[in-house]
Amino acid sequence: MMDVGRHPRIELLTYTEIEDISGFIGNFHVKVRKKAKFVVEKDCVTCNDCVPVCPVVTFDEFQNGLSSRKAIYIPFPQAVPSSYVIDINKCLSGTKPISCSRCLEACDKKCIDFDMKDEIVEFDAGTVVVATGQQVFDPSGLDEYGYSKYGNVVTSLELERLLSSDGPTGGHLIRPTDGRAPKTIGFVQCVGSRCDDPAQGSPYCSNICCMNTIKDSLLIRDHFPDTEIRVFYTDIRSFGKGFEDMYKRSKEMGVKYIRGLPGDIAEDPVTKKLTVTVENTTAGRVEQHDLDMVVLSVGLQPHEEDPIKQMLTLCKTSDGFYMEAHPKLRPVDSVTAGVFYAGTAEAPKDIKDSVTQASAASSRAGILLNAGKVKVQAITATVDPAKCTYCNVCVQACPYKAITPLDRAKKITPQVVEAACAGCGLCAAECRFDAIEQHHFTDAQLIAQLEAMLEEDPQDKVAVFACNWCSYAGGDAAGTSRFQYPASSRIIRTMCSARTDEKFIMRAFEMGAPIVLVSGCHISDCHYIDANRWTHRRVDRLWNRLERMGIRPERLQLEWISAAEGQKFAKTMREIEEMRKAVTPEEIEYTKKAIREANERAARPRGKALSQVGG
Amino acid sequence: MANEAKFKCLRCGHEYMGPYIPGNPQERTCPNCRSNSVRRLGEDRGE
Repeated sequence: MMDVGRHPRIELLTYTEIEDISGFIGNFHVKVRKKAKFVVEKDCVTCNDCVPVCPVVTFDEFQNGLSSRKAIYIPFPQAVPSSYVIDINKCLSGTKPISCSRCLEACDKKCIDFDMKDEIVEFDAGTVVVATGQQVFDPSGLDEYGYSKYGNVVTSLELERLLSSDGPTGGHLIRPTDGRAPKTIGFVQCVGSRCDDPAQGSPYCSNICCMNTIKDSLLIRDHFPDTEIRVFYTDIRSFGKGFEDMYKRSKEMGVKYIRGLPGDIAEDPVTKKLTVTVENTTAGRVEQHDLDMVVLSVGLQPHEEDPIKQMLTLCKTSDGFYMEAHPKLRPVDSVTAGVFYAGTAEAPKDIKDSVTQASAASSRAGILLNAGKVKVQAITATVDPAKCTYCNVCVQACPYKAITPLDRAKKITPQVVEAACAGCGLCAAECRFDAIEQHHFTDAQLIAQLEAMLEEDPQDKVAVFACNWCSYAGGDAAGTSRFQYPASSRIIRTMCSARTDEKFIMRAFEMGAPIVLVSGCHISDCHYIDANRWTHRRVDRLWNRLERMGIRPERLQLEWISAAEGQKFAKTMREIEEMRKAVTPEEIEYTKKAIREANERAARPRGKALSQVGG
Repeated sequence: MANEAKFKCLRCGHEYMGPYIPGNPQERTCPNCRSNSVRRLGEDRGE
């Protein structure tokens, strides 16, 4: 952190909040609010004269409430830059120094400035690295562990502060209730992690808790050899380099590992000792352990409110962490070009992995900045101004905000910013006036594929529209895994399921396809942020339209299949084949006739047909 | 705010009640056959 603060080419903006980020790769514009510290940073020499005179004593957030701080304070011991800040919400003066102003009088350097205002700082950036971190699970809601009832039940983060030399006890391990050194300590693993019940925590493994407990246990046994340590666990996950050695070392040093999570923790009201009841699943018996202190090894959770997500058009996976562009091939890239991830914003990870990812992210960003230009795939969208009716649907639909706003009065049609366009094709499918085309996935190209596919024996075929990233890859996985499925399916690949235009589906039915399947990534797993939600809405609309036309909605199928779900792909195809066999020739003929008539009706007043290519 | 709505699986025909958030399509999975071809019934228009 000190190196960052001193680096001539790094400008560190601390105590700031992002107000807005606009633009795209190479052209981001960032607006931040630099909050008033009420202390002139460059003049403050951290002499500490102001702190003793401050009459306000309040909760120290950095020490997790285990100690207090004053209204004028340094947020944490190694803070860079090292200067004081006035917590104006706690300060007696507020912005009126006349009511207290003791710090003002005590400061010889005259660094205190109650007239200081928040400052808006704006700058341009070519790339952005999102390193917004995580929060820890709050175990207050777990009654069985008694965190909110018993003083000697602490979280792993609180223990971290107690063991730290700059912590509230200077590194001396004490019981919070009586200040005496604990002789027996129990660690409870997986608190708020790997839970089926959302009220109990998150379903995923938080990655760091096992090794953090092993590290703490080694530290305690090193510094306080008389302390007995028991770890209650379901699995110990020590999979990193050197981690298994640490685990073995802790066992050699006498740390006892008991397989089973406590069902109850009770406190003796006089001695404040804790009795932990646990089913030891290795021994197959229920045990009770008397302990001086219990440490809850709490898991990591993503931030709930995150305006950065909207500003940078990022997306999150179902666990709430940011989604990478590709989990294996682009693990530090976001779905938005020029935006990268570092640390636990993307997934729970330890310091080593965070540093690795940060190094990778800075390298990825540096490559772009050095190149000075970007290559985009030739699958971007383009607007035909002659056909645009200024309806604004494309601007609203684009998940990347890559389409510039229109101005009906000035006859300014939307324009696609090619550097920002990811090529999902959603805008092309949503435009009812065929004013947008996606390069290499044009209406004409996709309809031509469809017509060639259904030219002969359409009644024996299932038309499948599959997205490139998940469903098409799921089909590949089914093939490479030798999962058998009927040969009746004919797949048209699009970059995203959202490219599947209504007119493609109606054209498939018009040509005699018994069943049409639209398939994409799982919701919240879309490679184009949330484009597949538009697919969902479109299929919903089409089910209603088909029903109104007297066509069974069952003939249009929807399935979310990930790249790893080869088995699901094969199962879906087998089920759909059974449905295909049930569609009669009379039903197909009726469908063709109904769509032709609807097209003719539509063509009469407005010249727009349901399955007409190119408008 | 999630409302209750009636859904029908267009693969197996199973009908069931489930949560529904207007304007925010969530992944629907038929509890009977695990298909995603699940249609909301009762209103003749998409989300």
